[in-house]
Amino acid sequence: MLKTKIEEIKKQVLEEIEKVKNSDMLFDLEKKYLGRKSEFVGFLKNLKNLAPEERKQIGDLANKTKLEILAIINGKKVDLSKTGPSTEKEKIDVTIPGKKKDIGHLNPISIVRRDIEDIFTSMGYEIADGPEIETEFYNFDALNMPKDHSARDMQDTFWLKQEAGKEKLSMRSQTSAVQARYMQTHTPPFRIIVPGKCFRREATDTTHDHTFYQFEALVVGKNINVGHLKQVAQDFFSQFFGQEIKVRLRPSYFPFTEPSFEFDISCTVCGGTGCRACKYNKWLELGGAGMVNQNVFEAVGYKRNEYTGFAWGFGLERLAMMKYKIDDCRLFHSGDLRFIRQF
Amino acid sequence: MKYSFSWLKELSGTKLSPEKAAELLTMHSFEIESLEKNGKKLDGVVVGEILEIEKHPDADRLQVTKVNIGDKKLQIVCGAKNIAVGQKVPVATVGTNLPNGLEIKEAEIRGEKSFGMLCAEDELGLGKNHDGILILDKKAKVGEPVIKYLGSSDTTLEIKVLPDRAHDILSHVGVARELSVLEKKKFSYAFDELILPTKKSQKLKVEIKDNDLCKRYIGAVMENITIKESPKWLKERLETCGLRPINNVVDATNYVMLELGQPLHAFDFNVIRENQTKSQIVVRRATKNEKLILLDGNKIKLTKNNLLITNGKTPLALAGIMGGKDSGISENTKTIVLEAASFEAINIRRTRAALNLRTDSSDRFEKDLDPNLTEKAMVRVIEILEHTADGKLEGIIDVYPKKIKPLTIKLDLEYVKSLLGEKVSEKEIINILSLLGIKTKNGKLIECEIPTYRLDLKTQEDLIEDIGRIWGYEKISPRPILAEVLPAKINKQVFFERKLQDILVGLGFDEVYNYSFYGEDDLKKLGIGAENHFELLNPMNPEQAYARLSMLPNILKNIKDNLRNYSNFGIFEIGKCYSIKNNNLIEERNLILAKVLEKDQNSETFYDLKGAVEDALEVLNVKNAEFLEIKTPGTFMNPNRTAKITADGKVIGFIGEVNQSVLSSYKINKRLAVAEINLETLRLLRQGFLLRQNFGGQVGGPKENILEYKSIGKFPIVTRDISMIIPENVSYAEIEGTVRKAGGELIYSVSLFDYFEAKKSLAIRIELGAKDKTLESVEIDAVMKKIVSKLENDLKVEVRK
Repeated sequence: MLKTKIEEIKKQVLEEIEKVKNSDMLFDLEKKYLGRKSEFVGFLKNLKNLAPEERKQIGDLANKTKLEILAIINGKKVDLSKTGPSTEKEKIDVTIPGKKKDIGHLNPISIVRRDIEDIFTSMGYEIADGPEIETEFYNFDALNMPKDHSARDMQDTFWLKQEAGKEKLSMRSQTSAVQARYMQTHTPPFRIIVPGKCFRREATDTTHDHTFYQFEALVVGKNINVGHLKQVAQDFFSQFFGQEIKVRLRPSYFPFTEPSFEFDISCTVCGGTGCRACKYNKWLELGGAGMVNQNVFEAVGYKRNEYTGFAWGFGLERLAMMKYKIDDCRLFHSGDLRFIRQF
Repeated sequence: MKYSFSWLKELSGTKLSPEKAAELLTMHSFEIESLEKNGKKLDGVVVGEILEIEKHPDADRLQVTKVNIGDKKLQIVCGAKNIAVGQKVPVATVGTNLPNGLEIKEAEIRGEKSFGMLCAEDELGLGKNHDGILILDKKAKVGEPVIKYLGSSDTTLEIKVLPDRAHDILSHVGVARELSVLEKKKFSYAFDELILPTKKSQKLKVEIKDNDLCKRYIGAVMENITIKESPKWLKERLETCGLRPINNVVDATNYVMLELGQPLHAFDFNVIRENQTKSQIVVRRATKNEKLILLDGNKIKLTKNNLLITNGKTPLALAGIMGGKDSGISENTKTIVLEAASFEAINIRRTRAALNLRTDSSDRFEKDLDPNLTEKAMVRVIEILEHTADGKLEGIIDVYPKKIKPLTIKLDLEYVKSLLGEKVSEKEIINILSLLGIKTKNGKLIECEIPTYRLDLKTQEDLIEDIGRIWGYEKISPRPILAEVLPAKINKQVFFERKLQDILVGLGFDEVYNYSFYGEDDLKKLGIGAENHFELLNPMNPEQAYARLSMLPNILKNIKDNLRNYSNFGIFEIGKCYSIKNNNLIEERNLILAKVLEKDQNSETFYDLKGAVEDALEVLNVKNAEFLEIKTPGTFMNPNRTAKITADGKVIGFIGEVNQSVLSSYKINKRLAVAEINLETLRLLRQGFLLRQNFGGQVGGPKENILEYKSIGKFPIVTRDISMIIPENVSYAEIEGTVRKAGGELIYSVSLFDYFEAKKSLAIRIELGAKDKTLESVEIDAVMKKIVSKLENDLKVEVRK
């Protein structure tokens, strides 16, 4: 008897489900047959009154049927979500561009500067800075460039008009000017980098600008040597370009370092096998470096030969140009959004 | 400087190819700027065999030839008389660019087609000979590049000589010596054997009046001179090095300068003499306004800081820089006075800079030269003139008051290792030093006697550099620095500015970088004076004559330029501004923001930018920021739309719209809002809490604000709106201030939600709540009543009920 009843309920469900047109009707149907107050759940509650044998038989059937009904309802849910009339209105073209908010862009100089700063701070370097208008002492004298040194020529440095008798001021021509300032107030050992704006009075073209960014590295301590310079440079450039970079030192001359080097890195395009980017040279010229001249240490008040150290100064634009294949360094200072918005 | 490789080869005895030598020098000595085979530009000129010669049917002096160039036979019209069938000649094919600038094209000469040109010597850049077509050796192979048959052509090596080595490297002997060192060979040039003859001149007297400016003066008299062209080999070497041959005497002095690096000068004895048999040289400072006409015709007026070579009466030459017009060598010169002298470098440099003169001679003297080199050069020039001018040495006068002796440096081998980071064996070090001409004496420290021609070697580090580079920097292995692990000191300003950049980029602003300069024109457009500005002594151009005091002028140019491509955008720049305050230099790190909107939102420009500034200040946790009206904001800002920005009562900058007249002078045709903010002040006002923005563990520096959490209220907040019409002269800030004051502690927030500028009507929403209880409606009504009555009575506001 009960068995027939259960089968009847299932049959009813199957009949009624055909009439269901939307999710509201389906919800009602589910409530009617499987809800807490439904006839079906009522049966299940009354199972305990039956003889054990019958209880098991009917119980199994009831449970099986309950699952079947659930499956039918869920099947209908899926059908409705596919074919229901309201979905027509819901449909959107997801390929239409989103409602964009205005978003700005960093200048590539800032991006490269951050990369450099992050790599060096991760190696325990402090970021130091100093004034952009410098005295003769910090920009030249302390860097072992005596009064008549050619770097002090009118054509190289932007001098400022000053009242007679005052110490001459100029726009700093290199971040090395910060070396002496830092050393005067700190005792080795230390490791610093100095990223900053520099100025040189030279004609501008695609690879030269009178305003440019350098970053200086200065490491001073007991027994700092050329090998250390090589390693730090190799580690830095490998991180910066995300590939293994070799460094090469060639002899050069700078008043503030002795020995002095021109600094090359293995070509970032071909890795040192020769290509058009390095003009089949395998190496790319990057900048100047060297072991700090003892005269510089003396100028800031350290005892001669008490410490050794290395320093370098590279152009930040050059790194940005290599990284992003930019062909004209004047773009950095152009303020042209067609350029900046690419970064 | 340009060097002849064949000359270097002769001096050093090297067997290396130019390329190999250049590579060796690059890695161990100095930068090679270029390496060029002379005559390299003869691409397209090939060996041809003359097959036929016929008279030109329409021109008596021309001939029509048929020439075999291997892959084809060409008809070429030619004017030279010296050609014959069977000869091998240089043929410039169509498309060739000859060294003299001529481009070979297909041509028709008086009706006869011509497909190339048979070349004479001068046309190939080989000399001046234009007598006829250059006839090649019979063995020359038809069709091959002609360059193969023009003898052993020289190679020009251009070296970038840096100031520290100019004294010895601006010479072929210097570079040849360097090459020998790198090849670990003894230098074969007999430099040390160049010793001055003892024969004293009877005709010449030399006096140095200013010993500080002239360390040595050697004068020599040579008689029986025949002025003529120099021999071909000598002229070729001069030309390879970029010098123009003049006559045998001048060429000889130049040749020795190129060989040894010592500039020399020659005077005509008969012009400078006092009488038939005697002449004198007096080296002295010029007197004020003394005049001299130089070799190049330039008339100069001198000061007592300039050094002159005189004959006791009249100036003969500007010492070390250029000879005088009248005292030089002419066709009729028979007897000469040769000068090899040593002048003080700084004085030469100052004189040539002051007079704006630069010569090969001044280039060398101003980098300092070894006074002992004068002797070597004098010996060489006499030798050469004996051969090239049939000259006979009459005698020499050498004035050398204070002989320069070699310097001794004590070298610590341990220091070599600790500076280079790599051990170079003692034996190797001694060997390198000896190759460099440095005599050594072993001991605990090695005593090194530096030859006087190496003026740059003054300290141990200088020696270590030479040891390192000759041994090879490539042998130095990279080594990690072994140091204590300590946290890197954080540069707070740098990381604060980074945070700010990120916020501004998030708010839609693009970052620009500008030059730190602007011009007089910008000052005029902005209506401000040059006071407080630093002016450049030597600007690039008048548009960049002043160091910027504000970032605004360059930003205005950025706006104008970008309006060509974009109609609404925001930009910012972070950088330094410079000013003079109370006679002191002030540098400030500033931020400038600028914004333009679409035409239909033009009137909202100020508020748009203000919103961005408020957002930025919120994210930076700058509390208590206020925007206060400025009545007289400066000529370039719109007086009705400018405010100063303060936080905790301190001024951090200003915001406003730029004056219309300024905008139109920059050709900007819509409203522009800008804000300029001092970033050091702002950083110290901010309440930070993120790592790197506020590094609690760091000792020292100004104390910074720390953000503190306020507990979230437990009791409900109620909102009440008030809409009102306010008098013209009442500001929103006054409304909000009055509401807050009247509401006291119960005010949770006050915000504007509606504003009509036309009638100046606005609506505000007030949130009320107490910390310790739920407010009852009577309490709320009471406080609202108080607020409304304050607004009505104090500000004459009409509250809509």
